[in-house]
Amino acid sequence: MRALVLVAHPDPHSFSHAAAQAAVDGLQAGGHEVTVLDLYANGFDAAMSPAERRAYPSGRPLIDPQTQASADLVRAAHILVFCYPTWWSSMPAVLKGWLDRTMVEGVAFRFNERRKIRPGLGHVRRIVGISTYGSPKSYVKAINDNGRRTLMRTLRMNAGWRTRRTWLALYAMDRIGPVERSAFLARVRDQASTW
Amino acid sequence: MSRRRCYVVYCHPLDDSFAHAALERVLAGLARRPDVDVRLSDLYADDFSPEFSLEERRTHKDSPDGKTEIAEYADNLRWCDSLIVVHPTWFSGPPAMLKGWLDRVLVQGVAWTLPDGASRLKPLLRNIRAITVVTTHGSSKLINSLQGEAGKRIWFRSVRVLCHPLTRCRWVAFYGIDRASDAKRRAFLGRVERAMQRV
Repeated sequence: MRALVLVAHPDPHSFSHAAAQAAVDGLQAGGHEVTVLDLYANGFDAAMSPAERRAYPSGRPLIDPQTQASADLVRAAHILVFCYPTWWSSMPAVLKGWLDRTMVEGVAFRFNERRKIRPGLGHVRRIVGISTYGSPKSYVKAINDNGRRTLMRTLRMNAGWRTRRTWLALYAMDRIGPVERSAFLARVRDQASTW
Repeated sequence: MSRRRCYVVYCHPLDDSFAHAALERVLAGLARRPDVDVRLSDLYADDFSPEFSLEERRTHKDSPDGKTEIAEYADNLRWCDSLIVVHPTWFSGPPAMLKGWLDRVLVQGVAWTLPDGASRLKPLLRNIRAITVVTTHGSSKLINSLQGEAGKRIWFRSVRVLCHPLTRCRWVAFYGIDRASDAKRRAFLGRVERAMQRV
Protein backbone atom coordinates (compact mmCIF):
# COMPACT_ATOMS: atom_id res chain seq x y z
CA MET A 1 0.00 0.00 0.00
CA ARG A 2 1.02 3.63 -0.34
CA ALA A 3 1.57 5.72 2.76
CA LEU A 4 1.78 9.50 3.09
CA VAL A 5 3.70 10.72 6.14
CA LEU A 6 3.22 14.37 7.09
CA VAL A 7 5.56 16.17 9.47
CA ALA A 8 4.85 19.56 11.01
CA HIS A 9 7.72 20.88 13.09
CA PRO A 10 9.93 23.92 12.34
CA ASP A 11 13.15 22.19 13.42
CA PRO A 12 14.40 19.49 11.01
CA HIS A 13 16.28 17.90 13.95
CA SER A 14 13.18 17.72 16.12
CA PHE A 15 11.84 14.66 17.86
CA SER A 16 8.76 14.84 15.61
CA HIS A 17 11.07 14.32 12.63
CA ALA A 18 12.72 11.39 14.38
CA ALA A 19 9.29 9.88 15.01
CA ALA A 20 8.35 10.40 11.37
CA GLN A 21 11.56 8.67 10.31
CA ALA A 22 10.77 5.77 12.62
CA ALA A 23 7.34 5.48 11.02
CA VAL A 24 8.90 5.56 7.55
CA ASP A 25 11.38 2.81 8.51
CA GLY A 26 8.61 0.67 9.93
CA LEU A 27 6.30 1.21 6.95
CA GLN A 28 9.07 0.32 4.51
CA ALA A 29 9.92 -2.78 6.52
CA GLY A 30 6.25 -3.68 6.21
CA GLY A 31 6.52 -3.46 2.43
CA HIS A 32 4.71 -0.15 1.91
CA GLU A 33 5.62 2.60 -0.50
CA VAL A 34 6.20 5.78 1.50
CA THR A 35 6.08 9.49 0.60
CA VAL A 36 7.10 12.08 3.19
CA LEU A 37 5.69 15.60 3.16
CA ASP A 38 7.58 17.95 5.47
CA LEU A 39 5.30 20.98 5.68
CA TYR A 40 7.85 23.44 7.08
CA ALA A 41 10.64 22.30 4.72
CA ASN A 42 8.23 22.70 1.80
CA GLY A 43 7.28 26.20 2.93
CA PHE A 44 3.60 25.25 3.04
CA ASP A 45 1.45 28.32 3.72
CA ALA A 46 -0.85 27.75 6.66
CA ALA A 47 -3.40 30.46 5.92
CA MET A 48 -6.15 29.96 3.38
CA SER A 49 -5.93 33.00 1.09
CA PRO A 50 -8.92 35.19 0.18
CA ALA A 51 -8.81 33.81 -3.39
CA GLU A 52 -8.89 30.27 -2.05
CA ARG A 53 -11.81 31.08 0.20
CA ARG A 54 -13.70 32.40 -2.83
CA ALA A 55 -12.82 29.25 -4.80
CA TYR A 56 -13.78 26.92 -1.92
CA PRO A 57 -17.50 26.54 -2.77
CA SER A 58 -16.92 26.78 -6.55
CA GLY A 59 -16.29 23.07 -7.12
CA ARG A 60 -12.69 23.83 -8.16
CA PRO A 61 -11.07 24.75 -4.85
CA LEU A 62 -7.48 23.67 -5.60
CA ILE A 63 -6.13 26.86 -7.16
CA ASP A 64 -2.62 26.72 -5.70
CA PRO A 65 0.16 24.35 -6.93
CA GLN A 66 0.97 23.61 -3.26
CA THR A 67 -2.50 22.26 -2.53
CA GLN A 68 -2.76 20.51 -5.91
CA ALA A 69 0.42 18.57 -5.16
CA SER A 70 -0.85 17.68 -1.67
CA ALA A 71 -4.23 16.62 -3.04
CA ASP A 72 -2.54 14.26 -5.53
CA LEU A 73 -0.57 12.68 -2.69
CA VAL A 74 -3.71 12.25 -0.59
CA ARG A 75 -5.69 10.72 -3.45
CA ALA A 76 -2.95 8.13 -3.98
CA ALA A 77 -2.53 7.24 -0.30
CA HIS A 78 -3.96 4.27 1.59
CA ILE A 79 -2.35 5.23 4.90
CA LEU A 80 -2.16 8.79 6.24
CA VAL A 81 0.36 9.45 9.03
CA PHE A 82 0.53 12.77 10.88
CA CYS A 83 3.56 13.62 13.04
CA TYR A 84 3.47 16.81 15.07
CA PRO A 85 3.99 18.36 18.48
CA THR A 86 0.74 19.27 20.26
CA TRP A 87 0.53 23.01 20.91
CA TRP A 88 -2.48 24.49 22.73
CA SER A 89 -4.11 21.07 22.72
CA SER A 90 -4.13 20.92 18.93
CA MET A 91 -1.90 20.69 15.89
CA PRO A 92 0.53 23.38 14.76
CA ALA A 93 -1.10 26.01 12.51
CA VAL A 94 0.76 24.75 9.45
CA LEU A 95 -0.88 21.34 9.77
CA LYS A 96 -4.29 22.83 10.57
CA GLY A 97 -3.82 24.97 7.44
CA TRP A 98 -2.91 21.91 5.42
CA LEU A 99 -6.26 20.38 6.45
CA ASP A 100 -8.13 23.65 5.79
CA ARG A 101 -6.62 24.06 2.33
CA THR A 102 -6.16 20.49 1.06
CA MET A 103 -9.10 18.62 2.56
CA VAL A 104 -11.64 20.33 0.33
CA GLU A 105 -14.38 19.28 -2.05
CA GLY A 106 -13.06 16.70 -4.49
CA VAL A 107 -10.42 15.46 -2.04
CA ALA A 108 -11.91 14.88 1.41
CA PHE A 109 -15.56 14.97 0.41
CA ARG A 110 -17.98 15.42 -2.46
CA PHE A 111 -21.63 16.37 -2.73
CA ASN A 112 -24.28 13.92 -3.90
CA GLU A 113 -27.30 14.83 -6.10
CA ARG A 114 -29.16 16.12 -3.04
CA ARG A 115 -26.24 18.36 -2.04
CA LYS A 116 -25.40 16.20 0.95
CA ILE A 117 -21.76 15.74 1.90
CA ARG A 118 -20.33 12.32 1.14
CA PRO A 119 -16.89 11.06 2.23
CA GLY A 120 -14.11 11.33 -0.32
CA LEU A 121 -11.36 9.48 1.50
CA GLY A 122 -12.80 5.99 1.11
CA HIS A 123 -9.46 4.80 -0.25
CA VAL A 124 -7.74 5.59 3.06
CA ARG A 125 -7.51 2.41 5.10
CA ARG A 126 -5.81 3.82 8.16
CA ILE A 127 -5.26 7.23 9.77
CA VAL A 128 -2.35 7.49 12.17
CA GLY A 129 -1.40 10.29 14.54
CA ILE A 130 1.99 10.48 16.22
CA SER A 131 2.24 13.37 18.64
CA THR A 132 4.39 14.67 21.46
CA TYR A 133 3.00 16.57 24.42
CA GLY A 134 4.71 18.78 26.98
CA SER A 135 2.00 17.91 29.48
CA PRO A 136 1.39 14.61 31.24
CA LYS A 137 -1.37 12.31 30.04
CA SER A 138 -3.84 13.24 32.80
CA TYR A 139 -3.70 16.91 31.80
CA VAL A 140 -4.00 16.10 28.10
CA LYS A 141 -7.12 14.04 28.80
CA ALA A 142 -8.67 16.82 30.87
CA ILE A 143 -8.07 19.38 28.14
CA ASN A 144 -9.49 16.92 25.60
CA ASP A 145 -6.64 16.43 23.17
CA ASN A 146 -8.23 18.43 20.38
CA GLY A 147 -5.71 17.63 17.67
CA ARG A 148 -6.43 13.96 18.21
CA ARG A 149 -10.17 14.60 17.98
CA THR A 150 -9.74 16.53 14.75
CA LEU A 151 -7.80 13.73 13.06
CA MET A 152 -9.43 10.70 14.63
CA ARG A 153 -13.01 11.94 14.38
CA THR A 154 -13.40 14.79 11.91
CA LEU A 155 -10.92 13.53 9.32
CA ARG A 156 -12.06 9.97 9.86
CA MET A 157 -15.63 10.99 9.12
CA ASN A 158 -14.41 11.90 5.63
CA ALA A 159 -13.00 8.40 5.20
CA GLY A 160 -15.45 5.89 6.60
CA TRP A 161 -16.24 3.71 9.54
CA ARG A 162 -14.04 0.93 8.23
CA THR A 163 -10.94 3.13 8.26
CA ARG A 164 -8.73 2.16 11.16
CA ARG A 165 -7.31 4.67 13.61
CA THR A 166 -4.01 4.57 15.42
CA TRP A 167 -2.76 7.10 17.93
CA LEU A 168 0.79 7.04 19.28
CA ALA A 169 1.53 9.61 21.95
CA LEU A 170 4.55 10.57 23.99
CA TYR A 171 3.49 12.60 27.04
CA ALA A 172 5.44 14.85 29.42
CA MET A 173 8.20 15.41 26.85
CA ASP A 174 9.88 18.04 29.02
CA ARG A 175 10.46 15.63 31.86
CA ILE A 176 11.37 12.29 30.35
CA GLY A 177 14.85 11.06 29.49
CA PRO A 178 16.58 9.64 26.42
CA VAL A 179 15.59 6.08 27.38
CA GLU A 180 11.87 6.79 27.14
CA ARG A 181 12.41 8.69 23.93
CA SER A 182 14.22 5.91 22.15
CA ALA A 183 11.72 3.38 23.50
CA PHE A 184 8.97 5.45 21.92
CA LEU A 185 10.76 5.54 18.57
CA ALA A 186 11.17 1.76 18.70
CA ARG A 187 7.47 1.43 19.46
CA VAL A 188 6.58 3.62 16.47
CA ARG A 189 8.84 1.56 14.21
CA ASP A 190 7.40 -1.76 15.42
CA GLN A 191 3.80 -0.61 15.10
CA ALA A 192 4.35 0.91 11.66
CA SER A 193 5.65 -2.36 10.28
CA THR A 194 2.30 -3.98 11.11
CA TRP A 195 0.06 -1.38 9.39
CA MET B 1 -17.65 50.98 38.45
CA SER B 2 -14.62 50.39 36.31
CA ARG B 3 -14.90 50.15 32.57
CA ARG B 4 -15.08 46.82 30.76
CA ARG B 5 -12.14 46.23 28.44
CA CYS B 6 -13.02 44.01 25.51
CA TYR B 7 -10.46 42.65 23.08
CA VAL B 8 -11.99 41.36 19.84
CA VAL B 9 -9.95 38.99 17.66
CA TYR B 10 -11.40 38.42 14.22
CA CYS B 11 -10.25 35.92 11.60
CA HIS B 12 -11.75 35.45 8.16
CA PRO B 13 -10.12 36.08 4.76
CA LEU B 14 -13.10 37.88 3.18
CA ASP B 15 -14.69 41.22 4.07
CA ASP B 16 -18.04 40.24 2.57
CA SER B 17 -18.28 37.03 4.62
CA PHE B 18 -20.93 36.11 7.14
CA ALA B 19 -18.21 36.09 9.80
CA HIS B 20 -17.51 39.72 8.94
CA ALA B 21 -21.21 40.53 9.29
CA ALA B 22 -21.04 38.88 12.73
CA LEU B 23 -18.01 41.00 13.61
CA GLU B 24 -19.91 44.15 12.66
CA ARG B 25 -22.73 43.14 15.00
CA VAL B 26 -20.24 42.38 17.76
CA LEU B 27 -18.80 45.88 17.42
CA ALA B 28 -22.28 47.43 17.14
CA GLY B 29 -23.40 45.59 20.27
CA LEU B 30 -20.35 46.73 22.23
CA ALA B 31 -20.72 50.31 20.97
CA ARG B 32 -24.18 50.50 22.53
CA ARG B 33 -22.67 50.02 25.96
CA PRO B 34 -21.30 53.19 27.53
CA ASP B 35 -18.96 51.38 29.91
CA VAL B 36 -16.92 49.41 27.39
CA ASP B 37 -13.57 50.09 25.73
CA VAL B 38 -12.82 48.00 22.67
CA ARG B 39 -9.67 46.94 20.87
CA LEU B 40 -9.80 44.92 17.67
CA SER B 41 -7.30 42.68 15.85
CA ASP B 42 -8.18 41.58 12.33
CA LEU B 43 -5.61 38.89 11.60
CA TYR B 44 -6.04 38.75 7.81
CA ALA B 45 -5.97 42.56 7.56
CA ASP B 46 -2.78 42.50 9.64
CA ASP B 47 -1.34 39.91 7.24
CA PHE B 48 -0.38 37.89 10.29
CA SER B 49 2.02 34.98 9.65
CA PRO B 50 0.65 31.92 11.41
CA GLU B 51 3.73 29.72 11.06
CA PHE B 52 5.62 29.34 14.33
CA SER B 53 9.22 29.63 13.10
CA LEU B 54 12.44 27.82 13.91
CA GLU B 55 13.80 31.06 15.38
CA GLU B 56 10.78 31.29 17.67
CA ARG B 57 11.28 27.69 18.63
CA ARG B 58 14.85 28.50 19.68
CA THR B 59 13.85 31.56 21.69
CA HIS B 60 10.72 29.83 23.00
CA LYS B 61 11.65 30.22 26.66
CA ASP B 62 13.12 33.74 26.46
CA SER B 63 11.43 36.94 27.50
CA PRO B 64 8.84 38.16 24.96
CA ASP B 65 10.16 41.74 25.09
CA GLY B 66 12.18 41.51 21.89
CA LYS B 67 9.40 39.83 19.93
CA THR B 68 8.07 42.90 18.13
CA GLU B 69 5.79 40.99 15.75
CA ILE B 70 3.56 39.86 18.58
CA ALA B 71 4.00 42.88 20.88
CA GLU B 72 0.70 44.54 19.99
CA TYR B 73 -1.32 41.34 20.45
CA ALA B 74 0.43 40.59 23.72
CA ASP B 75 -0.26 44.10 24.95
CA ASN B 76 -3.95 43.76 24.09
CA LEU B 77 -4.18 40.43 25.89
CA ARG B 78 -2.66 41.95 29.02
CA TRP B 79 -4.96 44.96 28.78
CA CYS B 80 -8.34 43.29 28.35
CA ASP B 81 -10.66 41.62 30.82
CA SER B 82 -12.94 40.11 28.21
CA LEU B 83 -11.69 38.22 25.16
CA ILE B 84 -14.10 37.98 22.22
CA VAL B 85 -13.16 35.79 19.28
CA VAL B 86 -14.98 35.79 15.94
CA HIS B 87 -14.11 33.05 13.46
CA PRO B 88 -15.65 30.45 11.17
CA THR B 89 -15.15 26.83 12.25
CA TRP B 90 -13.16 24.96 9.62
CA PHE B 91 -12.34 21.32 10.02
CA SER B 92 -13.79 21.42 13.53
CA GLY B 93 -11.51 24.20 14.74
CA PRO B 94 -10.42 27.79 14.24
CA PRO B 95 -8.80 28.60 10.87
CA ALA B 96 -5.05 27.96 10.71
CA MET B 97 -4.43 31.71 10.82
CA LEU B 98 -6.03 31.87 14.26
CA LYS B 99 -4.43 28.66 15.50
CA GLY B 100 -1.09 30.16 14.49
CA TRP B 101 -1.96 33.28 16.45
CA LEU B 102 -2.36 31.07 19.53
CA ASP B 103 0.90 29.24 18.76
CA ARG B 104 2.88 32.46 18.33
CA VAL B 105 1.28 34.95 20.73
CA LEU B 106 0.49 32.81 23.79
CA VAL B 107 4.16 32.36 24.59
CA GLN B 108 6.30 32.36 27.71
CA GLY B 109 6.03 35.74 29.42
CA VAL B 110 2.71 36.59 27.78
CA ALA B 111 0.33 33.75 28.60
CA TRP B 112 2.34 31.64 31.00
CA THR B 113 5.63 31.27 32.76
CA LEU B 114 7.50 28.32 34.15
CA PRO B 115 9.30 29.33 37.34
CA ASP B 116 12.57 27.52 38.10
CA GLY B 117 11.90 24.13 39.55
CA ALA B 118 8.16 24.24 38.89
CA SER B 119 6.53 21.40 37.05
CA ARG B 120 3.37 23.26 36.05
CA LEU B 121 2.91 26.39 33.99
CA LYS B 122 1.91 29.49 35.90
CA PRO B 123 -0.92 31.31 34.06
CA LEU B 124 -0.30 34.97 33.26
CA LEU B 125 -3.63 35.98 31.71
CA ARG B 126 -5.44 36.20 35.06
CA ASN B 127 -6.81 39.59 33.96
CA ILE B 128 -9.15 37.84 31.50
CA ARG B 129 -12.46 36.98 33.16
CA ALA B 130 -14.64 36.15 30.18
CA ILE B 131 -14.11 34.36 26.89
CA THR B 132 -16.80 34.69 24.23
CA VAL B 133 -16.55 32.82 20.94
CA VAL B 134 -18.75 33.76 18.00
CA THR B 135 -18.49 31.11 15.31
CA THR B 136 -20.26 29.42 12.40
CA HIS B 137 -20.32 25.75 11.48
CA GLY B 138 -21.17 24.43 8.02
CA SER B 139 -22.46 21.16 9.43
CA SER B 140 -25.14 20.42 11.99
CA LYS B 141 -24.88 20.38 15.75
CA LEU B 142 -25.14 16.58 15.71
CA ILE B 143 -22.19 16.16 13.37
CA ASN B 144 -20.13 18.59 15.44
CA SER B 145 -20.98 16.72 18.63
CA LEU B 146 -19.84 13.45 17.08
CA GLN B 147 -16.63 15.15 15.99
CA GLY B 148 -16.07 16.28 19.55
CA GLU B 149 -16.19 20.09 19.21
CA ALA B 150 -12.40 20.35 19.15
CA GLY B 151 -12.42 24.08 18.43
CA LYS B 152 -14.71 24.86 21.37
CA ARG B 153 -12.43 22.95 23.68
CA ILE B 154 -9.31 24.76 22.50
CA TRP B 155 -10.84 28.02 23.76
CA PHE B 156 -12.79 26.83 26.79
CA ARG B 157 -10.23 24.43 28.18
CA SER B 158 -6.75 24.96 26.77
CA VAL B 159 -6.85 28.77 26.66
CA ARG B 160 -9.16 29.17 29.64
CA VAL B 161 -6.70 27.62 32.09
CA LEU B 162 -4.37 30.56 31.38
CA CYS B 163 -7.06 33.05 32.43
CA HIS B 164 -8.77 33.90 35.71
CA PRO B 165 -10.00 30.80 37.60
CA LEU B 166 -13.60 32.07 37.46
CA THR B 167 -13.53 32.92 33.75
CA ARG B 168 -16.98 32.77 32.17
CA CYS B 169 -17.21 31.07 28.79
CA ARG B 170 -19.90 31.90 26.27
CA TRP B 171 -20.33 29.96 23.02
CA VAL B 172 -22.35 31.87 20.43
CA ALA B 173 -22.46 29.40 17.58
CA PHE B 174 -24.43 29.00 14.38
CA TYR B 175 -24.68 25.37 13.32
CA GLY B 176 -25.65 24.21 9.85
CA ILE B 177 -25.06 27.52 8.10
CA ASP B 178 -24.62 25.73 4.74
CA ARG B 179 -28.34 24.93 4.67
CA ALA B 180 -29.74 27.78 6.74
CA SER B 181 -32.38 30.20 5.49
CA ASP B 182 -31.82 33.95 5.32
CA ALA B 183 -34.21 34.38 8.23
CA LYS B 184 -32.11 32.11 10.40
CA ARG B 185 -28.97 33.95 9.42
CA ARG B 186 -30.52 37.27 10.34
CA ALA B 187 -31.75 35.83 13.62
CA PHE B 188 -28.24 34.68 14.48
CA LEU B 189 -26.79 38.12 13.80
CA GLY B 190 -29.38 39.56 16.17
CA ARG B 191 -28.36 37.02 18.78
CA VAL B 192 -24.71 38.01 18.37
CA GLU B 193 -25.51 41.64 18.99
CA ARG B 194 -27.62 40.83 22.05
CA ALA B 195 -24.93 38.55 23.46
CA MET B 196 -22.56 41.53 23.53
CA GLN B 197 -24.64 43.13 26.27
CA ARG B 198 -23.33 40.53 28.70
CA VAL B 199 -19.70 39.90 27.84
